[in-house]
Amino acid sequence: MNNSTSKYIFTFTFFFVTFLGFSQDLLSKLDKEYPEEPVYEIATFKTTRIGLGHSIEVRKKGALEISLFNRFWNLEEKTKKRFIADEVNLRFGLNYAITDNFTVGGGYSNFDKISDGFIKYKLLKQQKNASKAPVSIVLFQAISHRNKTEYENNLYAPDDIVNSEVYSYASQILIAKKFSPNFSAQLSPTYINHSKPFLNDQPLSQFAIGLGARYKVNGHISLVSEYYYNTNPVKSVSTYDPFMFGINWELSHLLLQFQFTNTRHLAESAFITQTQNKFNFEDGNFHFGFNAIFVLHTNKNKLK
Amino acid sequence: MNKLYIYLLFSSLFVNDTDNQFIARQGQISFFSYTSVENIEAKNNQVLSILDVEKNEIAISMLMRAFTFKKDLMYEHFNESYIESDVFPKATFKGKIIEFEKNKKSQIKIIKGEITIHGISKEIDIKTTIDKTKNGYIIEGEVDLVVKDFNIKIPPILSKNIAKVVSVKFNFQYYPYE
Repeated sequence: MNNSTSKYIFTFTFFFVTFLGFSQDLLSKLDKEYPEEPVYEIATFKTTRIGLGHSIEVRKKGALEISLFNRFWNLEEKTKKRFIADEVNLRFGLNYAITDNFTVGGGYSNFDKISDGFIKYKLLKQQKNASKAPVSIVLFQAISHRNKTEYENNLYAPDDIVNSEVYSYASQILIAKKFSPNFSAQLSPTYINHSKPFLNDQPLSQFAIGLGARYKVNGHISLVSEYYYNTNPVKSVSTYDPFMFGINWELSHLLLQFQFTNTRHLAESAFITQTQNKFNFEDGNFHFGFNAIFVLHTNKNKLK
Repeated sequence: MNKLYIYLLFSSLFVNDTDNQFIARQGQISFFSYTSVENIEAKNNQVLSILDVEKNEIAISMLMRAFTFKKDLMYEHFNESYIESDVFPKATFKGKIIEFEKNKKSQIKIIKGEITIHGISKEIDIKTTIDKTKNGYIIEGEVDLVVKDFNIKIPPILSKNIAKVVSVKFNFQYYPYE
């Protein structure tokens, strides 16, 4: 190696090292400055319901959700046909977030005449890249009241059911995980208790397990599906497990959830245990509708 | 001659950059989107920035999740639907201050550099006011960014709610780097 080549190598190394020093750059220096704070997952489902049942989402303090749910279906008999659909069940509901983790709400469904109220508490928030909190957990308790049951004229209903009032309680532990920015899933063990039997051989305590998932298609559209497995359904009338497939469309303050399902009920205790239709596309069984949810922020953050 | 090179080589390795460097750990960046339908405003108070007064270099880095909004649902939409902070958690800038004079009390200069938002990099020039303080500097200014440039998709139905050009304000207070 002669003198000039070694000079050349030195010059090259010199500039290379200074260049490295230059780009051992200020940005990577800044990366080390970030404080180590837990980052919580957001938008696991984005909407407070997956579709039928509640999701682990709760709104932040002061948010008021005004919601209108509807389900349309045709009667099995072809005798009367109306425009779009023969029957509809509407539920008008309000939810209010008292704190960031605690929400109360309620609603009334006009077809099955069920009033329902619920409390929802977020127990655990899933953290990003941390083994400490790999899932989100929400405790959910609902109470529903049915003034006149649709079983009044049912051959199988006990005699004393007429004009009696039934209270049903639904308790759920909602466990959800956001697996990737696009995919989240939820498991919802459910316990439902009825204050009195309204069908023959009606079990007062019923158990179910819910499965739900969301797949984000793009920024504003996601596909959702939900299914509840009943472990001890009513035997005297045939009931089926509720299933739902839908599309969620998130538009600023308005969240829309379009869905196809086999249940016409909108309160937890009713749609989980009292769905009397199979999931298929025949008249009478096929239900469609949407949940329209408007979010009003009664409490605006101050930007310091 | 070789000795000189070796000296240069080692000096460049061991020279302490940090004497000429200043850091801002609580820099502020806010952005505004004004339309006839809706005004959206957000602020980030935890922006990191570093200033090298010898090389006239500046770098800025921030977490998109650290922006706060007046309405909480906006925060969720911003992170999940528009900026996709799960995939692109940071926005960064690195650039050079043109003709920076490190001892001048107050000066208005152009910073030329590359901004990266939503995984898209773009060359920009920013006009800034630089003031020298007792033990550091304050840099502030304003820049307009075109939302479309950063591949941020706004559905047609919401195009009236979000401004096409978002104005971004910044303010950094630098202290000696330790």
